Amino acid sequence: MSLIPSEHELHAYVDERLDSERRRAVELYLAANPEQAARVEAWRNDARQLRAALSGFAAQAPNPRLDPANVRRELRRRRQRRWASAAVLLLTLGIGGLGGWQVREASLLASNPPMADAVQAHRLFADAKALDLSAQDPARLQAWLGQHFAHVGTLPDLSAYGFTPLGARLLSNEQGPAALLLFEDARGQRVSLFLRSPGEHYARMPSGERTDGQLQARYWSRGDYNYALVSAASDRRGEQLRQALGITL
Amino acid sequence: MNELDDEQLRQMLERLRRFALWLTREASSADDLVQATVERALSRRGQQREDASLRAWLFSILYRQFIDGKRRERRQARWLAWFGCSEEAGSNTEDIVVAQLGLAAFAQLPTEQRALLLLVSVEGLSYKEAALALDVPIGTVMSRLSRARAAMRELAEGATPPPALRRLK
Repeated sequence: MSLIPSEHELHAYVDERLDSERRRAVELYLAANPEQAARVEAWRNDARQLRAALSGFAAQAPNPRLDPANVRRELRRRRQRRWASAAVLLLTLGIGGLGGWQVREASLLASNPPMADAVQAHRLFADAKALDLSAQDPARLQAWLGQHFAHVGTLPDLSAYGFTPLGARLLSNEQGPAALLLFEDARGQRVSLFLRSPGEHYARMPSGERTDGQLQARYWSRGDYNYALVSAASDRRGEQLRQALGITL
Repeated sequence: MNELDDEQLRQMLERLRRFALWLTREASSADDLVQATVERALSRRGQQREDASLRAWLFSILYRQFIDGKRRERRQARWLAWFGCSEEAGSNTEDIVVAQLGLAAFAQLPTEQRALLLLVSVEGLSYKEAALALDVPIGTVMSRLSRARAAMRELAEGATPPPALRRLK
């Protein structure tokens, strides 16, 4: 063990961190080296002075804000506030999102009226000469329909209303195949029956009717398909035809 | 995992305030620092290291917060300088108090030396505890202690009898 203590040991001596053996050794060394002893004594004095000067600061007026119980309460309050504001934020986002979604839906519906494609198809093909199937025989029309639309019901006999089948045309849109069935009366007035799988905006399309220019569309859903009967808006038989179709299809 | 009970904390409060006051040298920000320390201690009571005594742990939280705060301040000052506003230097602990208590030399020491002397000489932490509190190796504690005491001596001897403290710019 060295007789001359290290600098660190001198500090440890001041701070009383030496074991008794080393302390004795340091004391012996300092007794023999007054210069070092003076240094160490000065450090010790400084430390003492510092302690004395700062001991007054321990007796500050207590600050109730710092009391652990109070801090705990404050933390709890803050946590609750955070939760509350998180909830409010979520709610706001939810309301905004929902509202926005509904506006989107509404504007989509407004720009996509139900069965607009039926009216469109009628405009394009009602007067067409070229049909995929020309058939005056209702049974042939029914068979053709069954080929393309497995779950379709039975076509009613519309002759009671003066209409006979003219033919059909197979169409397609985003939802898959669609069919336009044409009927004509003795005076050459045509109505069409349109059917297809439900579209994304009208998965559960309500029944209804609307007028689109010169045309009247009456639409409904049954089973796997959406149907629309498109006739001239002035044709009074439209509603009766619609009822007859709705029963059997 | 020991539940930190309020009474233990309460007993440490005045020591923490004293430590904070001599780090920040401003009474109000010192108490803010202590409050932040107590908050952190309460919300992280599970994180106390096994080998750290409660007081070393608390001092370490406080010191870390102080250092982080200083860093933030410096960043803010840089931003302010960038935008052309110069910030008024924060007022230090009243010069009069410092002079009266013969703490002139101590008050002029760099923060890290002040912190160490406070922990070792005033709070009576062991070197190991001080190392934990300041988050430095024990070797650094020893050499820093050596430097701090030498600096303190120099300042004290150069200024005997202690004149009214001049604010350091």
